[in-house]
Amino acid sequence: MLSERIKKALALLKLEKVEGGDYGKTGYHVEAAADPGQMPEVAKAMLAEGCFLESLTAVDYPAHFTLVYHFASYEELCRTVVHAKLDKRLMATSITAVYPAANWYEREVYDLFGIKFAGHPDLRRILLPLEADFHPLRKDFGATASNA
Amino acid sequence: MHEPGQEEKTYVLNFGPQHPSTHGVLRVELQMEGEFITKAAPDIGYGHRGHEHMAENRNYQQFLPNMGRVDYLHALAYNQGYCMAVEKLTGLEVPERAEFIRVITAELNRIASHLLWVGAYLLDLGAFTPFLYCFDDRENILDLLDRVTGSRLTYCYYRFGGVPKDIDDEFMAGCRAFITRLRGRFKDYDDLVTKNIIFIKRTRDIGVISKEQCVRYGLTGPMVRGSGIPYDIRKSEPYSVYPRFDFEIPIGERGDIMDRYLVRIREMAQSLRIIEQALDKLPDGPIMAEKVPKRIKPAAGEVYQAVETARGEFGCYIVSEGDIKPYRIKLRVPSFGNLSILPEIAVDTLVADLVAILGSIDVVVPEIDR
Amino acid sequence: MDNLVRILGTDLGRMLAGLIGVIALVSVNALFLIWMERKVAAHMQLRPGPMEVGWHGAIQTIADALKLMGKELITPAEVDRSVYLLAPIVVFLPVLLSFLVIPFSQTLVIRDMNVGVLLILAFAALTVLAILMAGWASNNKYAVFGSIRSVAQNVAYEIPLLITVMSPILMVGSYRLTDIVAAQEKFWFIVSQPLAFILYITCATAETNRAPFDLPEAESELVAGFHTEYSGMRFGLFFLAEYTNMFIVAALATIFFLGGWRGPVLPGWVWFLLKVYAIIFLIMWFRWTFPRVRFDQLITFAWKILIPLAFANLLLTALVMKLM
Repeated sequence: MLSERIKKALALLKLEKVEGGDYGKTGYHVEAAADPGQMPEVAKAMLAEGCFLESLTAVDYPAHFTLVYHFASYEELCRTVVHAKLDKRLMATSITAVYPAANWYEREVYDLFGIKFAGHPDLRRILLPLEADFHPLRKDFGATASNA
Repeated sequence: MHEPGQEEKTYVLNFGPQHPSTHGVLRVELQMEGEFITKAAPDIGYGHRGHEHMAENRNYQQFLPNMGRVDYLHALAYNQGYCMAVEKLTGLEVPERAEFIRVITAELNRIASHLLWVGAYLLDLGAFTPFLYCFDDRENILDLLDRVTGSRLTYCYYRFGGVPKDIDDEFMAGCRAFITRLRGRFKDYDDLVTKNIIFIKRTRDIGVISKEQCVRYGLTGPMVRGSGIPYDIRKSEPYSVYPRFDFEIPIGERGDIMDRYLVRIREMAQSLRIIEQALDKLPDGPIMAEKVPKRIKPAAGEVYQAVETARGEFGCYIVSEGDIKPYRIKLRVPSFGNLSILPEIAVDTLVADLVAILGSIDVVVPEIDR
Repeated sequence: MDNLVRILGTDLGRMLAGLIGVIALVSVNALFLIWMERKVAAHMQLRPGPMEVGWHGAIQTIADALKLMGKELITPAEVDRSVYLLAPIVVFLPVLLSFLVIPFSQTLVIRDMNVGVLLILAFAALTVLAILMAGWASNNKYAVFGSIRSVAQNVAYEIPLLITVMSPILMVGSYRLTDIVAAQEKFWFIVSQPLAFILYITCATAETNRAPFDLPEAESELVAGFHTEYSGMRFGLFFLAEYTNMFIVAALATIFFLGGWRGPVLPGWVWFLLKVYAIIFLIMWFRWTFPRVRFDQLITFAWKILIPLAFANLLLTALVMKLM
C-alpha cells in the first residue's frame, strides 16, 4: 500500500501530524501537517515514493497563511495533503529544486498572496501584471462583487 | 543596440501574445540563435480574470457559471468537478440517471474538445483541410449539447444534486447517429493525416517527454499517457459511474508528439464506447436529488475532487468555513502544469518545432490564466 | 485600319499589343485563380466557398480587389522606406516579363527568342531579390525570417529545377520554347521523362512558395512571413505575383512535358490554357492536402534527394540519346 509507505516515510521526518485521511469525505488518503521549513524534505520523500506534485496553493486565515500541498501518484490511488502553517511575517521555503513543477505554483502563490519563497530561482509575478502592487487573494484585499 | 565589432549571436523573438499558433493570448519569449531556440520562457496571465477571487465573493450557486468559462472547450468536466466537490462537501446524493446523463454529455464534450484540438493542431502544422473536417464533426456535438444544455460553448448544465433537464429520445437517437458517423470518419483521418509522410516527419521523436519528467513536472492527461503512463482519473480514481463502463486507456510508447496525437485520437474512440454503453444502460428515475437546500451552506472542512478533462486533471479544492460563500477555492488546472514543462523540452528545437510542441501540449490559455 | 495593321506588324507594335495583352491576362488570370483556389479548397473541405457575389461567387475576387485598393497603405515607422516601397514593384516586374516568350499557341507568342527558357528562369530568380528586399526593409523579425527562408529555399530548389528541364532540352537541342513544343509531335515528354515531370512539379511548387513548401510565409510560425508589414494594394501586388508565378511555372510544365498547345479539335491556345489550369489544380490540391514540412527537412530534401535525382535523370537522358 502506497499510503502506508508514505506515512512511514513522512513519520521519519518528525512532522507535526501524519495520519490517514477520510477519502470519502475529503478526497485524501494521507493528511500531514508540517512546518514550511520542512517542505523540501517532505518533497524529497514524496518524490522518492514516485508521487507528483498535484497542486500547491495557500489559504489566508486571519492569524496565519496555510500552504497546501497536494501529492498524487500515477501508479496507485493515493492523495497526500500537507498543510504548512506559515506566520504572516515569515518566508516559506521553495521546493522547486525537488519538483520543477513547483516553480510556477510558487510564483502563483507569491503573486496572489504575497508569500515569498526562500530559494526560488525566479520569484516574479506570474498571472498579474509585473507592476501590480496588490495580492488579490489576501482577505484584506476586499473587492467583493458589490464594491468592486 | 550594441557596439560595433561586438558580436551578438542570439536575439529575442516575441512569440505572441498575438500569434496564430499560441491559441489565445499566450506569449513565449524566445532566445534564438538563427532558427534554433536556446531558451523559451512562457509568459502567462494575459487573460487573468480572477476566478478564484470571484469564488470567495459569491455563494456556491453563483460561482457555478464561472465553471463554463475556465476551460471553454471542456466546460462540462469543470461543471462536473465543481459540482462533485460541493456535493461531497454537503453530502448530496446524485440520482443514478443524472450521473449517466453527466457522463454522456461530458464524454461528448471531451470528443468535441479533442476534435477541435486535432483540427487546430494540424492547422499549426500547415494542413488546412482536416481543420474543417473536424469542425464539421464537432458541429454535430454542439448541436446535440445545445439541445440539452441550451448553449453551444460555455455550458452551465450540471447542478448540485443532478441535472436540471432530462435528455429525450431525439437526443439519444442523435447520439447514436453521431457515434456511427464518427466511427466511419476515423479511417478518413487516418488516411489523410496519420499516414502522411510529412506529418510523421514533423511529429516523430519531436518534443519527447520521459516518464521521469512527467513526475517532476506533475503532468497529467494525454501528456503522461503519451509517455506510456496509464494515468487517467476516470480509471485511476474512479468517480461518477465510470467504473460501470468497459473502456481502455490508450497510451503511447515514446512520449513524442506523434504518441500524444495518437492517444487523443484513440481516446475519442473510447469515449464513443462509453457513450454507447451509457445510452444502453441508461436507467429511469429522477434527475435531481430530492432534498437540495436552497442555500448551500456546508459545514467547515475541506475537500479535493479531481476529474479528468480533455487536457488532464482538473482538481477542485474547496475550503469551507461553514458560510454560504466558499472560504477558498483553488482550481488546479491541467494546462498550467502541462505548459510549465515547455522551457525544458523546447530548447534546441526550431521555431517550427516549437509550434508543433506547443500545439501538442493542448493548452487552453484562459484555463491557465483563470 | 491599314495603319493599325502596319503598326502592329512592326516589332514595337507587337511588343505594345503584347504588353497590353499580358497585363490584361495577368489580372484576369489572378482574379480567376484566386476564385479557383477558394472553390477548390472549399469543395475539398466539404463547404461551398464564396457563393454570394455573382454566379457561385464568380466576381467575389473583383469585390476583394476593390476592397484591397481602397485600403490604407500603411508604412510602418521604422522601415527602410525606399527599399520597402520598391519591393512590391520588383516582385512584379520579372513575372510580367516572363510572358514575353511564352508561346500560347503556334503563332501567339510575343517574342520567340532562342534563349526563352533561360530568360524565364533568370527572371524567376529575380523574385527572390524582391522577397529579400521586402523582408529586410520591413524591420520585423518575422519578416526577416521569412525572407531568409525564402532565399535559402529558392537557391536550393532552383538547381534541381534547372537540371530537370535540361533533360527535355537535351532531347530537343534548343532553348527555344516553340522548338520544344514542336519536338513533341509524336508523344508528350511526360511519357519519355516521367521522373523529370515529377521533379519539376515538386521544384516548381517550392519555387512558387506554395504549400507544403510555403515556409517563407508559414502563417502558423511566421505570422505572414516576408509580407507581414505590407497592407492594401502593396500586399495585393505580392499576392498577384504569387498567382502569376504559379501560372508561369504551370505554363513551363505544359510546354516541357504536356505538349504545349497541341491537342485535337479545339484551337491551340484553349488547349494550352486547359493544360496550364490542370497543372495549377494539381498544385492547389497539394496545398489543401499536405501539412507543411520543416525548414531543415525542406533543404535536406532539395540537396540530398532532388538534386541527385535530377542529375541521374540528366545522365540517363544523355546516355539514351547517345546510344540511339
